[in-house]
Amino acid sequence: MTYRSQRVAYAWFAAALLLFALQIAFGYLSLAKYLGPDPLLDVMHFATTKAIHTNLLLVWLLTGFMGATFYLVPEESRTELHSERLAWIQLGLWLAAGVITIVGYLFGITEGRKFLEMPFVLKLGVVVVMVMFLYNVVMTIRKSGRFTTTEGVLIGGLAGAALLFLPGLLYFDNYTLDRFYRWWVVHLWVEGVWELIMGALLAFLLIRLSGADREVMEKWLYVIVGLTFLSGILGTGHHYYWIGTPRYWLWVGGFFSALEPLAFLGMAIYAYTIVRRSGLAHPNSLALHWTIGSAIFSAIGAGILGFAHTWPSVNQWTHGTHVTTMHGHMAFFGAYAMIVLAMISYALPQLTGRSDEERQTRLGMAAFWLMVAGMFGMTMALAAAGITQTYLERILGVGYLETQQKIQVHYLMWLGTSLVFGAGVAAYVWDFVRAGAPRPAAAAPT
Amino acid sequence: MTKATTRRFFFAGTILFTLVFIGLTVHTHSTIAARTHADQIDEKVVRGLHVWARYNCENCHTLLGEGAYYAPDLTEIVAQRGRTYLSAFLADPSKFYSEERDGRLMPTLGLSEQQISDVIDFLAWVDGIDTNGWPPRPILVAGAAPRGVAGIEASADSADPVQRGQAVFNGPGACASCHSLAAGTTLVGPSLAGVATTAVDRILQPDYHGAADSTEDYLRESVLEPSRHLVPGERYAAGDRSLMPDTFGQTLTEKQIDDLVAYLATLR
Repeated sequence: MTYRSQRVAYAWFAAALLLFALQIAFGYLSLAKYLGPDPLLDVMHFATTKAIHTNLLLVWLLTGFMGATFYLVPEESRTELHSERLAWIQLGLWLAAGVITIVGYLFGITEGRKFLEMPFVLKLGVVVVMVMFLYNVVMTIRKSGRFTTTEGVLIGGLAGAALLFLPGLLYFDNYTLDRFYRWWVVHLWVEGVWELIMGALLAFLLIRLSGADREVMEKWLYVIVGLTFLSGILGTGHHYYWIGTPRYWLWVGGFFSALEPLAFLGMAIYAYTIVRRSGLAHPNSLALHWTIGSAIFSAIGAGILGFAHTWPSVNQWTHGTHVTTMHGHMAFFGAYAMIVLAMISYALPQLTGRSDEERQTRLGMAAFWLMVAGMFGMTMALAAAGITQTYLERILGVGYLETQQKIQVHYLMWLGTSLVFGAGVAAYVWDFVRAGAPRPAAAAPT
Repeated sequence: MTKATTRRFFFAGTILFTLVFIGLTVHTHSTIAARTHADQIDEKVVRGLHVWARYNCENCHTLLGEGAYYAPDLTEIVAQRGRTYLSAFLADPSKFYSEERDGRLMPTLGLSEQQISDVIDFLAWVDGIDTNGWPPRPILVAGAAPRGVAGIEASADSADPVQRGQAVFNGPGACASCHSLAAGTTLVGPSLAGVATTAVDRILQPDYHGAADSTEDYLRESVLEPSRHLVPGERYAAGDRSLMPDTFGQTLTEKQIDDLVAYLATLR
């Protein structure tokens, strides 16, 4: 690594992968309950395992984003971190809050609002940690005086995420109002500011991996994040169709969320153009795979599969079915999980003092293909489950329980393909462990 | 196009759409009270919302279609099932469903009577929210099973006439494709929730012109000669003719009809 304080990124990455593995474990627990019967019904029922599964997703991705930032900012601003110690303390607090939250869920301590189940006091803790983080990053950039657009978009996304977490602290006795502002956090994160984070990480990786001209890359980065907000802000309306909000949201939400794929398609075209122009010559082929993979998978999972059920006349039938599960899994994996895994794969040789060539392991490549194939299969299985459920339960009016029995076969396919995915996760984690502890570069940096 | 141009596009677009969004938010916020009849949010409804959150209900169920997909949507559940049924159900769901038969079961949460009453009040309030017409047709917990569903037709060979009758109801009789077992839910014909209980009242009414003098006879008569007694309503009858087919005497065997009547007599 070029800067000594970057080693803290290794710890953040390790923590992210640990939480990722745990998320998958709780995913399997939840899936087993779909297949039933459930021996853990009275100990740890579905609501608990599912809340842990989704919370760990958000936490490990944020952990990965912050790790990526601690790696990226010193390189972009060409300086050591303002305070490496603060980054370590922050990691400790962050993980402590996470552990307390998860243990709390196991004992039934929850706020019971999907994605925002964390108790109020711990939410305040998260705000404190985010402020520490932003302070450290901003001070680093101030110290160096060098501030790139890529960095700006990344910090903008992270600061936006911190700011938009605040509506999650609001409570209303009116359930509709509670829903209304809950989406400010959930939607404006994943279909808003998080896309800035993804766009910035993608731009950074493409510049580094292809040697493309920074001016050109950053020019188009503005177009991509411009499209994100142009469509995504009013696209929040697709959550406001049926919850007691005025009818005009059907038009506003429908129109603007139908434009949301543009930003993701923009990222895919961005990556494709760079690869065509500069080729795939970089020795870190693993990082290239994850980077290009992320651009493609997010365009399909977040862009196209989101578009598939966002129009109100379709959504009135699919709302609250496994069609959403299908879109959610591939979207989160493609847009956010893969870009974090790309950053880890890119940074790991430098962090562990190995050459890029040395880190191009068969295991690492197997991890990529197993996860990609597994997630593709899961998406197909969930698509079959979701479409069948929509048709039987919503259109024909067959009972929920009978419909669930009818789609059991798709749950079996979901299980089968998720085992392929899980094997990929295990391979990735093991490959990370095999890279060894962080140390200064032994070989000349490439 | 230069980087300065695209930067301007980003900032101008973001500011513009943020302002529009804030404007719409202010308007939406001001209309929600009327659209959700907020004047009916009393302390019981608020306590019910807290029960809903405290027990993490939406990480299994959906409400207004939001939540998790492991358990049925509850937006219209109070209208479909009624308070009495829901109170008994929430006290012990295992009396109503079984993992073996239904594939999954709601855990017994140990709710107090007060909590049960509150959460039902909350759900009843939610049902009154103006949802722009969602769901476009009722979402049922159970019922209207299509043919060929594993576990439903399997009971056709059971030694218990009630189980065999249920198989006829869902299978060859196709009763379930028109009759819901949820109170207040009309698929095509009237809901059969509690039909065995109402049968007793029916045959005592002065406007009853059929020949039945017991619950079982009434149920048999309803299956074989649906026009002998008409449930009021344009959707159910035209003139003095029921819209229900009167051909079950030909399409079902004697034994199937006996079994079906035995099953219907359990719907109290």
